Amino acid sequence: MGEHNLEEFEYSRGDLRIRLRKPAQGTAVASRTVTAPEIIVPGALQPAAAPTGASVEARATEDLHLIKSPIVGTYYGSPSPGAEAFVKVGAHVDDGQTLCIVEAMKLMNEIDSDVSGEVMRIFAENGQPVEYGQPLFGIRPSRKK
Amino acid sequence: MRVICACKELGISTVAVYSEADRNSLHVRFADEAVCIGPPRSSESYLNIPQVISAAEITNVDAIHPGYGFLSENANFAKVCEASEITFIGPKPEVIEMMGEKDRARREIRTAGLVTVPGSAGIVEGEEQLAKEAEKIGYPLILKAVAGGGGRGMRIVRKQNELLNAYETARSEAQQAFGNPDVYAEKFIEHPRHIEFQVLGDQYGKVIHLGERECSIQRRHQKLVEESPSPVLDPKRRKDLGAKIVKALEKIGYTNAGTVEFLMDEDGSLYFIEMNTRIQVEHPVTELVTGVDLIKAQIRIAAGERMEDATGEIHYSGHAIECRINAEDPDTFVPSAGRITTFQAPGGTGVRVDSAAYADAVIPPYYDSMIAKLIVKGRDRAEAIGRMKRALEMFVIEGIKTSIPLHRRILADPDFASGKFDTHFIERLLGGNGK
Repeated sequence: MGEHNLEEFEYSRGDLRIRLRKPAQGTAVASRTVTAPEIIVPGALQPAAAPTGASVEARATEDLHLIKSPIVGTYYGSPSPGAEAFVKVGAHVDDGQTLCIVEAMKLMNEIDSDVSGEVMRIFAENGQPVEYGQPLFGIRPSRKK
Repeated sequence: MRVICACKELGISTVAVYSEADRNSLHVRFADEAVCIGPPRSSESYLNIPQVISAAEITNVDAIHPGYGFLSENANFAKVCEASEITFIGPKPEVIEMMGEKDRARREIRTAGLVTVPGSAGIVEGEEQLAKEAEKIGYPLILKAVAGGGGRGMRIVRKQNELLNAYETARSEAQQAFGNPDVYAEKFIEHPRHIEFQVLGDQYGKVIHLGERECSIQRRHQKLVEESPSPVLDPKRRKDLGAKIVKALEKIGYTNAGTVEFLMDEDGSLYFIEMNTRIQVEHPVTELVTGVDLIKAQIRIAAGERMEDATGEIHYSGHAIECRINAEDPDTFVPSAGRITTFQAPGGTGVRVDSAAYADAVIPPYYDSMIAKLIVKGRDRAEAIGRMKRALEMFVIEGIKTSIPLHRRILADPDFASGKFDTHFIERLLGGNGK
């Protein structure tokens, strides 16, 4: 349905009758100009198997500025357990703003953004081990005015 | 790769750490897990202690095998491992530290009963002491900077009338190069042979030796060919010196693997020069003539096993030779980085190849140029030589330049075949251009 941008689909043949309809959704595609065609499917998080989904994902990642871990350690999205996350998807960040912590040998290392822009992707999960060079955030840099 | 092989056979899972330049290397591929620890530069990756320890922590390892080079003889790294409750597969930090200070090592070894190269007790202070030391040591002697190495602040003195001049020049050169003018004096051996003994110590005080290796075929202090046993060490001397080494190391409390290095004089006397507190590149030579897997022994010792269980039965037989195949021009010795297009290693009876190279691999410019070790064993030295010649001939590496042509020249040389050589062999072979 998403592939062909359909809202409703009906099929009948003999005794078989199928009707599919997308429920009305909060996320409106029209609310912003999007360069990469995005598939908005209710509740569906780009399943890895869907080829179109994967290619959109790849295309979306290509446009992003990646923040990679400069050290080996454990990723934490918030300053302490239970506290609010440093940033969420969709948040605007400034150059130099702390995005996360990577803990190495009992030391908490703050990882800062080196661009201003919007957080589009967060690649790591709280408590996940990360290696040198591993992508942590995908940021769409703000265009200079 | 060598460590991964031993671990696989012992049923131990492995984590490989690698720099970005080694992303496609074999050890990364064959380890159970791999963690990237930094960019290509060694100082930011393989020598970066926090990165290495952090990688060990996130993968929850029990032990670290430091290999050779890099952090393997870094006492501080061994201490950090201990503090992080990770077993360092090697000797205790205090022993690494002791052997790392060459002067202190010589003193401790002398106290423990081995003979070092005759020389001054410490720094030569002033003309009077200089004359006394020269009297005691005899000529030729060499003056060496205490703070230095690499040939700087060194002067060979062959006649008494050269002595004072040499002393003053060596001191001023040392001051220039290292900020410390102090020199010590030592007997200078014109035609030395490099002979080293492999040792193992368990955590219960038992030390053994596994025979010697002859490593005199070197260029600029880099070994090219090693063999065991040495063609010039007879069984009685091996036994006597071996016993002395064991006694000295038991006194010092040496654990895990190590190599004790000696220089052999023209008259056959053996003098201790230094000890390497790690497993060495040429360890396969000893493995082939004793039947002992030294890496497994290291791991077992570190895990608390007793010597007999760690090594298994030791059975001396035959003769083994190793050639270090380097990625470099065989004539100019300029390193040859790049993509290997063909990698056809020799096989057959008595041939072993330890390498992480493969067809299509890219040899990066950041590290050591050695790309493979070719080791052969024969029933005696003659068979081993014949076998090595055959194996070198059938070792095809294309896309980069290698030292194989040079190795073939060495093996074909009559002096090499007759066992008549010293550490100046390569210089003579290359006709004085080997510098």
